[in-house]
Parts: sequence; structure tokens; C-alpha cells
Amino acid sequence: MHPSYSRLEMMVVAASRLLQNRERVLVGTGIPLVAAILAKKTHARDMVMVMEAVAFDSNPESLPFCVADPRAVYRTTWTPTSAEVMGHFLQSGKIDVGFLGGAQVDRYGNLNSTCIGPYDRPQKRFEGSGGAGDIASLAKRTIIIMNHEKRRFVEKVDYITSPGWKCRALDWASDVMREEIALDGGPYAVVSTLGVMKFDPHSRSMYVETYYSDLGVLIGDIRAVTEFDIDVSRARPMEPPTTDELTVLREQVDPEGIFMKY
Amino acid sequence: MDGKGKRISLERVPDFVSDGDRLWMGGWTVVRKPFAMMYEIIRAQKKNLHLINNPGGPETDLLIGCGCASKSETNYIGHELFGHPYNFRRRFEDPESNHGFRHDDWTVATGSLRIMAGAMGIPFIPTRFLRGSDILNPALDGFKDLRGIDPKVPKRKFLKMKDPFWDGEEVMLIPSLTPDVCFIHAQEAGEDGTVRITGGVFLDYYAAVASRVTIVSAERIVPVEALEATREENAIPGAAVDAVVEVPFGAHPTAVHGCYDNDPWWFRDYLKASKTEDGMQAWMEEWVYGPGSFQAYLAKVGRSRLDRITADPKLCYSPTIKRRLDRLDEVG
Repeated sequence: MHPSYSRLEMMVVAASRLLQNRERVLVGTGIPLVAAILAKKTHARDMVMVMEAVAFDSNPESLPFCVADPRAVYRTTWTPTSAEVMGHFLQSGKIDVGFLGGAQVDRYGNLNSTCIGPYDRPQKRFEGSGGAGDIASLAKRTIIIMNHEKRRFVEKVDYITSPGWKCRALDWASDVMREEIALDGGPYAVVSTLGVMKFDPHSRSMYVETYYSDLGVLIGDIRAVTEFDIDVSRARPMEPPTTDELTVLREQVDPEGIFMKY
Repeated sequence: MDGKGKRISLERVPDFVSDGDRLWMGGWTVVRKPFAMMYEIIRAQKKNLHLINNPGGPETDLLIGCGCASKSETNYIGHELFGHPYNFRRRFEDPESNHGFRHDDWTVATGSLRIMAGAMGIPFIPTRFLRGSDILNPALDGFKDLRGIDPKVPKRKFLKMKDPFWDGEEVMLIPSLTPDVCFIHAQEAGEDGTVRITGGVFLDYYAAVASRVTIVSAERIVPVEALEATREENAIPGAAVDAVVEVPFGAHPTAVHGCYDNDPWWFRDYLKASKTEDGMQAWMEEWVYGPGSFQAYLAKVGRSRLDRITADPKLCYSPTIKRRLDRLDEVG
């Protein structure tokens, strides 16, 4: 029998499972928001969902369309500005988890959401950092969520919007390990449409921790759509979504299919 | 400016803006953007505007697309999940469409700190952000050949400094933002300029204080006495506001908490048109120059659409609005 869920759903469920109860999570627009709300409605009910533009402990009844949406403030106890959320709480190390998407990621978890191709004359110009670069710099850990494609999992990102484990030195002439430039935290996991990747504590390189075998994903598939050489020696099958996770996701988190595109 | 009697008409707004001004438009991406005032300065054909609101939404893409802006200095330009900022993108993806346009990339946290520093009257502020990324990479500074030449552009993007007081951490000094003009759209304002905002102030208070001139459009102008009773709910003092103008639906097509939601039909039409320069010109003709006034624009949008986006009084958004642009036809 074919599984009755999609890779996109597995990705969102896998990401939600990485969030823990009582953690303070700074969430970006889009799929990260979907996964964070799913976590709050399943195993992490007291997780504090923070939106950079407007809401500290957001408990939306309808999926916010962006981090400034009136839906984000419908149930919240404080509506700070980004000066407080980012300039105060994030900058002083009081955010547990940053939750981000991006267009490109490399083996060290550097993220690009600025442009594809040369910065001055790009093939594709994107909206820009928003708060992503800030969140990846100073949250205690960062979770990245994105589609698994060769053009996205690249050897070198075209622009570092959000620094990973090995990023730009302060002279911008070389690359250094992030602790050498006093950055906090670092990428904790990359959740993709094929599996969940983590970072080796010694080499700081991405490796495959789990893959969606229940959906027919093979380890070779991940290697084939990852431009850099990725360690798969530790890979094990991912636990499929529970009925509860799927029901809550479909019926309560994004019933309109705004992000899930049902 | 202090005192009452700050009420002006919408048509007078362009008098406060000069070519080349650094303009801050309040709100946040697709929320509470001062569209009515922006349409007026497009019709007045202002040029070389330097857009510094952090972040930018459709109003920023529009001012770029219609040729009123020659620079942007912000952390984001886009329409959130509605679609991509095609006018902004085209300036960089197609050299023939660049027309001398420049962009300087920042981040949400540092944009916030820069406008806060502007409000404080300090020239720069230190930050622990911006290390490790390419945002401050000197080779990728979009304004590099303007620095030291254009008086509205900081002489340098940043300066690295070792903390001289405590642990010697390397921090970045970044320049404050001091807009020439600030446009804010709010739910309510008094004739003295006191501003009441619900559902999040965003950076509007800092921007109002940091700017040389601040103009506020509001859904309702109310007696000052009405704003005194629950004074804690006021977001910006009249002392930071130079003029107020009453414009119901003045942030359409963006959302205003408690008043109306995003207009998905507007975004669908705009995104389709803005994919090409010709399409954009036709859109401007149809929606900005053609109607000739904000009243005529709203009449063209139509009462039924405005009713559809009107917010539920308790939820403060519209629970029935469809936000998937590919399914708008299903709801008529």
C-alpha cells in the first residue's frame, strides 16, 4: 500500500518534531510557521512562538500569512516591535531556536536568500535577508527547512545571507569557524523533502541522519541531488507521521492549503 | 511640531516630499502600508526617491516600478507569500531595465537598530549582528561608489570595533537612519497628530521621531479628547507628527488590524502585470493615473470587494478571505 501522505507533509512533520516544549522559537514566514504551529498543536503546547515583526507568544487560530499578519496577534500577550524581538531578545541571547528557509544551503549550513549568480548581476534576485541573517547569527540553534534539489544543496552558496558553521571572516577575505567571530548557536538540522540532515560535531559538515524510506526515498537519491559529498553512513529510516500529526496538520494548521498547496 | 490643526487634504501630501528624499513608509511588508499617500506622490511624479523603510512591501516594489525611486536601502522587498517583487528583481536581473537603480542589503534587526538610533539622535550604533555573512562584505556593497559622494548615503557602510569597555568582542558600528520624510498609516489619529495603532506598531514610533517630516494618514480622525481616555493605547505623540489626513481604506491593498484584510485580487492583478515593464505601465495607467484620485481608485476597486476584505470586529481580520491566489476564481 502506498503511504497516504506527501514528502512535503513528512518534511513539515519532521521539522515540527525537532521543536521542544517550552522552547522560545523565532519563526520565519512560510513552511517554518506551519511546522511550528503543528508542534504547538501536538507535542509542544507550551512552546513560545515568536514572530520578529509583532508577536511574542503567538497562539493563532488561523494560519498567519506573514510575521506581521493580524492573525499572529489575535492571541498573544505582547506585541513588541522588531527592535525588541531582534535588537533586545535575540541580540542578548534569549532565543532558543531560529527556524528558517532559504534558496541555497551548503555543507556548513550557510544559507542564501539573496541572489543566484553574481551579486551585482544575478540570474535571480530574491527578496533579501529579512531577519534570517540575524536569526542564524545569534539564536542558540537554527533549524533549516527546504526542498531537496541539486540547485539548492550546493557546494558553495552564491551569497551568505545567514552564516552557518564555517562562514565569512571579519576581513571577508577568507572563511572561519563561527566561534572565531563570536557567533552564538549554529545550524542544528536541515529538514528537506528527502530526509533530515545534521552536522558532524568535528568536521561541521552536513550528514544524513534520517531519510523518508516509507515514501520510497533511497539513500542514493539524497546523494544524487546533493551537489557536495554528503556522509550517509549514519542514515536510518524516518518514523512516518502519526495519524494525529497528519490530521492536525491538514485540518487545523493549514486547512486552506496556503502553504501546503493541497 | 506641536499644537492642533494638523489636518490636511490627501492632495497636499506631495508638497511635503522633494525629489531625492529618503522616504520611510511605515507598516510591515503587506500590513498597514501608506498606499493612499504613496499613490499621490506617484501622480505628482516625484523622482530619485531613496527608499529606506525596513522592510519593504508592495509599496516599495511599486515606487521602483513606476520610476519614482532610484535607490533602496533595506532588508527585504516583497509581497510575502503572494508572490515575488518583479519590478525590484528586473532592475538587477535585466541590465537594460536597471536605469541606474541601486540597492543596499541589510537585515531586520539592524534596520530596526538603525532607525532607533535615528530617533535617539545618535549618528551610529554598535551591534553584534552582521558578522559571518556577506551583508557587510565590502566587495558586495551596492552603494560603494556613492559613499562619500552622495550626501544622503552614509560615508561607509560599517566600521568594525573592539568593545573598549568590557570583553573586547568585535562589534560592528552601523549608521543611523534619518529619513527626510515618513509616511505612516494608522487606525486613528487626533487633529494634534497623536496616533493610535492596534495590532502592532512595527517601527513606526521610531521612524516618526527619527524623520524630519512625518505625515500620518488614518482610517479615522478623532477628537483629541477621545484619545486621552485610554492614553496608554496611543503609539506616537503628536509632537512627532507634522500633518494628519483622514483616508478610509488608506492602506488598501495591505491589511489594517481591526479594519480590513489584504486584498488578494489586487495582488493577483498586480503580480501578473508587474512581470514586464509594459504590463507595469498598463497597470499604472489603469490603477493610478487613470483614476486620478484615491476616491476614484476605491470606486474602481468597488464596494463589494471592500466589503469582502472588511475585518471581523473580534478577530480583527477577515476569516473568510481566500489567500490562495490560484483559487480566487473559486470564490468569485
